[in-house]
Amino acid sequence: LVMVFPPLPRLRGLLRCCWGRLERSLLLGFSGGQSPPWGPALAVQAPAFFPQAVSDTGESNEAPSLLDSVLWMAAPKKRRTIEVNRCRRRNPNKLIKVKRNIDVCPECGNLKQKHILCGYCYTKVKAETQLIRTEIRKKEGGPFNAPTVESVVLYDGEKPTEKDEGKRIIERARKRPSWFVQN
Amino acid sequence: RWLVSSSLFPLSCIHTSASLQKIGKWEKKNRIVYPPQLPGEPRRPAEIYHCRRDIKYSNEKMWYLAKLIKGMSIDQALAQLEFNDKKGAKVIREVLLEAQEMAVRNHNVEFKSNLHIAYSLSGRGRYVKRIRYHGKGMYGIMNIGRCHYFVKLVEGPPPPPEPPRTGFDQAKEYVQQLRSRTIANTL
Repeated sequence: LVMVFPPLPRLRGLLRCCWGRLERSLLLGFSGGQSPPWGPALAVQAPAFFPQAVSDTGESNEAPSLLDSVLWMAAPKKRRTIEVNRCRRRNPNKLIKVKRNIDVCPECGNLKQKHILCGYCYTKVKAETQLIRTEIRKKEGGPFNAPTVESVVLYDGEKPTEKDEGKRIIERARKRPSWFVQN
Repeated sequence: RWLVSSSLFPLSCIHTSASLQKIGKWEKKNRIVYPPQLPGEPRRPAEIYHCRRDIKYSNEKMWYLAKLIKGMSIDQALAQLEFNDKKGAKVIREVLLEAQEMAVRNHNVEFKSNLHIAYSLSGRGRYVKRIRYHGKGMYGIMNIGRCHYFVKLVEGPPPPPEPPRTGFDQAKEYVQQLRSRTIANTL
């Protein structure tokens, strides 16, 4: 069977339902245990009148089944005018609401939402944490080498106090940032 | 209606538009020069027109953002856009920052926060048709839409919002309408 794809949607729909019915009839034929009716069945339905004849029989078959089955499809009756469309699209519940929970971050002065961390401060801390992690990676030298003791980060010119007795020390070669408070 | 001042435009700036296809009307609005104000007149607030063309975003979606911004002060507008998740919010934020920069540099605006948004509009850009491939060899024609965004900043605090029309106002207007009726062809 050569599939033809016309651009008209009606013919396409008809062909699809005709193909579906053919498939169903073929399946029924197989379950009956008969020989596959490829040759004889298709020779009878000559492709010359294939769309017309089958479409006529198809319509007469489809109408009672449409009424019986509950497969009616909802379709718009009239075109929605631009006025109606505008009323729906510009309804206040569809407009973007003004946010009233924006504040100024006391640390950096950028804007932040009240229930969310300041984006600037977060990226700043993230960058520093990334550098500390590279230091840790250099020290450990491979996966699964994490020690069982705590770690402490020390910056330039800092000595470990008596509180940092058994901890692993990670050196960072820069001045301590103001937001990273030493215990 | 715009008046051109008596100062001569150097010829070079008129004929250097070989690279741009066509300078849009909104860009030309920045070029008007008013005559100097008389001593008694109130100060004319500075107006800055800025736009961005051919933004790869839908016109309808951009309209919602333009509607949000209308009438706000520039700081409030930038704050609202920063925490909006739409793609157009980022674009509009860049446009507003550019316009603010232009205002301070070229248009003699003293305080960059003393601006408010008088007009904020979105326009339909050039659409191109492309083929969208479906299954089974089917195809559809899809429209790749672009939009423009126009903004006009005016110096000064934002105007106070209009009070919403109450039923009492509507009733007053109705009574006024009834009173102003006249009967034709009589005394």
